[in-house]
Amino acid sequence: MMVSSSVKTPVTVIGGFLGAGKTTYLNRLLRSDSGRYAVLVNDFGAVNIDAALIAAHDGETMTLANGCVCCSIGSGFLDTLGRILDDGTTFDHIIIEASGVGDPWRIAEIALVEPSLRLNAVIVLADASRIVTLLDDSRVGDTVRGQFERADLVLLTKVDLLDRVAVDSARSTVSALRPGVAVVETTEHTLPGLPDGAFRPASRFAATDADLTDHEHDFRRWSYSRSGAFDLDALADAFKALPPQLLRLKGACRIADEAMPLLLQMVGQDWALTAMPDGMAAEHDILLVGVGTDALPDTSALDAILDAALISPTSVTTADINRRQTAFTL
Amino acid sequence: MSQDTVVFSARKIVTMNPSRPVATHVAVREGRIVAVGSFDEIAALTGGRVDGRFKDKVLLPGFVEGHSHIMEGMMWSLPYVGAFDRRSPEGKVVKGVPTIDAIVERLQEAEKAMTDPDAPLFAWGFDPLHIGSVLLTRQDLDRVSTTRPIMVVHASFHISNVNTLVLQRAELDRTTNISGVVMGTDGEPSGEVQGIAARFRVFRVLGTNPLSGNLTADDVNRYASSCCVQGVTTVTDLHNDLADLTVEVYRAASRRDDFSVRLVPAMASVSHSPEQGVAKIKALRASNNDKLHYGIVKLVVDGSIQGFTARLRWPGYHNGAPNGLWYIAPEELPSIVAAYHEAGIQLHIHTNGDEATEVALDAVEAAQTATPRPDHRHTLQHCQMADAAQFKRMKTLGMCVNLFANHVYYWGDSHYDLTMGPERANRLDATGTALRIGVPFAIHSDAPVTPLSPLFTAWCAVNRVTSSGRVLGKGTEALTVQQALNAITIDAAYTLKLDHVVGSIETGKYADFVVLDTDPLEVAPETIKDINIWGTVVGGHVREAPRA
Ligand SMILES: [Zn+2]
Repeated sequence: MMVSSSVKTPVTVIGGFLGAGKTTYLNRLLRSDSGRYAVLVNDFGAVNIDAALIAAHDGETMTLANGCVCCSIGSGFLDTLGRILDDGTTFDHIIIEASGVGDPWRIAEIALVEPSLRLNAVIVLADASRIVTLLDDSRVGDTVRGQFERADLVLLTKVDLLDRVAVDSARSTVSALRPGVAVVETTEHTLPGLPDGAFRPASRFAATDADLTDHEHDFRRWSYSRSGAFDLDALADAFKALPPQLLRLKGACRIADEAMPLLLQMVGQDWALTAMPDGMAAEHDILLVGVGTDALPDTSALDAILDAALISPTSVTTADINRRQTAFTL
Repeated sequence: MSQDTVVFSARKIVTMNPSRPVATHVAVREGRIVAVGSFDEIAALTGGRVDGRFKDKVLLPGFVEGHSHIMEGMMWSLPYVGAFDRRSPEGKVVKGVPTIDAIVERLQEAEKAMTDPDAPLFAWGFDPLHIGSVLLTRQDLDRVSTTRPIMVVHASFHISNVNTLVLQRAELDRTTNISGVVMGTDGEPSGEVQGIAARFRVFRVLGTNPLSGNLTADDVNRYASSCCVQGVTTVTDLHNDLADLTVEVYRAASRRDDFSVRLVPAMASVSHSPEQGVAKIKALRASNNDKLHYGIVKLVVDGSIQGFTARLRWPGYHNGAPNGLWYIAPEELPSIVAAYHEAGIQLHIHTNGDEATEVALDAVEAAQTATPRPDHRHTLQHCQMADAAQFKRMKTLGMCVNLFANHVYYWGDSHYDLTMGPERANRLDATGTALRIGVPFAIHSDAPVTPLSPLFTAWCAVNRVTSSGRVLGKGTEALTVQQALNAITIDAAYTLKLDHVVGSIETGKYADFVVLDTDPLEVAPETIKDINIWGTVVGGHVREAPRA
């Protein structure tokens, strides 16, 4: 299998309720020298960049000396993003701030349907001092809970302002919402850089495992290879049966009555089958690689779930799987 | 009286001025009313030319539409595929298309008339709730064309249907569970797309978004023409970023002598920080003229009831659907309201569900407590589910309300069956409660969501009948015809702080009239929506409505 994903720009969505610290984090990312970022923000006024770092400013867009640009979403989010994609400038990363009452996943889905983009991560921030109260609030509790539903990483912010008991309480409340999702404790001065490939499985296959910001957390891989084909309906059922600890699954996937294997991309419970991109020819009928949390069940249990969706006799081909895994950039 | 005074004589003039409710003559000079009364009263003033063209007509103050959108003018450049008859800016009754076959046929006609074979075909106004919840599929649209992109925008403007070609180009034609790509019964994408991701993708492959195109003079002229057809002489555009280009288009249009409506745009708070917003309104106000009135700001707190995105208090939606969406966080609203309140700016606050209404009332109460301000007239827009306790708070706080009377007809059945249940649906858009408690109120269409037509809106508030014929809370919430006429003239003007210049026919105000064939106060209340509108007079300029 070949890789042709170098043209896809990774997208990270930053979500979280009002006051969670999104702007502080975005300011931190904009100032970093780790890449040429396009950052889409809700409130331009809240972006606080030293005048010395600003190379150009035209009201809607600010260009920084480090190559990053910061764009105000205003009321035209789609237009703003469209302009960035059409502009011709290539960015190492596009970072989008979701609104304080918005669902970051709705924005993240753009990166799943737009061929020039790939979803890197949904990062949701939670103010450690407020999150327990917010989740209980009769008016906004459902909104706040919904923001965590598809988070790949939670940053628990402002932990230096609390005692250990309070931080633990916030951490366990968030963990109860999304068991298995990494929760990283941060302060204004210890906000992590952009976890490119670390939290979305993208470069989990490219030996960057050690770069993980949160050392308490680890990932497990699963690869699944068969010749033959899936029945589409049975496959849809099988996907539903996969455990929530499986974060992502991607690869070639042959469906009955289809001439060519299709590209499966699954993130959480969301999946799509699309034609293989040009230059990406499948050598196998079915070759899927998945990534999950350290609580991911045994691979034989996972294999059995997908085997139930096969329609023809199969043979396992394990050769070279490990090498091939590195070919996927999820 | 000077030579350039014109005295219009009419069969009857219903003034909406309680101290002189009826007259037969109105004298106009320099666009304003000089005198109102009988022939003898007016003739006592010397000079003036009598214009008898309305001798068989009935004049009322021009209608004031307190909540509608310029998008009404933009949409009529595209074919209409809603289920109900609707009058175009050219005055033509465009028949409703209440079946899938009829929709396809309408689209086929439009497709045949297009010259560029690659141009996308957009249409608007579809609502499955109005055709028995039948869905429009990509296969239906493929009957119109398999080679031209087609997109039908729903009445809600949040959902669209596309043909297979669009799905293919957008690479959304495969089985997926991206939340905005709806699957049909066959497990394949049905062609219905919603949500930000699918919309983004579809608009990108179409190369254009018909809902966000730049405003043109043609759009504004269509809007003004619809106003004339419907007897509207003061109209809002109740949510606009007011980008420089829009401001320029409005400036140019409103300066034209033949521009036949007074325009009241509301600045969208969402696209401005409060400080920017306050500064922008102050700057825009300086450019106001007789037919352009900047000054109000719109806030949107929640979504829509029939879309299940409105925020409801306990026990929530009748059918158990999860509660809706906040567009502004409840804890953020007080500071936004306070900033505009302190700057002396009037707010129009969209709240559909009663939980959103509660949050808005709390915010206004806090602002009013911190900075008491007489006569602020902050107005709740839609406010469809408020109960008596909430109306009493509005009264205490000095607020107004603009109720969405047309909803009773268009979605009353959905509210009864699905969203609110019988008890709450019966007091939907509680005009009777507002009246009893004494909250100043208007009624509105939210065009293009429902048709621009104040007489129809008045008919809804008087008859409270749904599209299936069910009557909702008529005994307690219905208005008399006189009360409903107040709500589309002088009281609507009050909610816009323009009642000192429009909304009634009395000396000193703009000479803005609607010219009717029949007096609404003399016909059966069930028929007021059918009264023929001859045209309007705006600032003394007579304009006969086009009839196509
Ligand atoms: Zn509206």
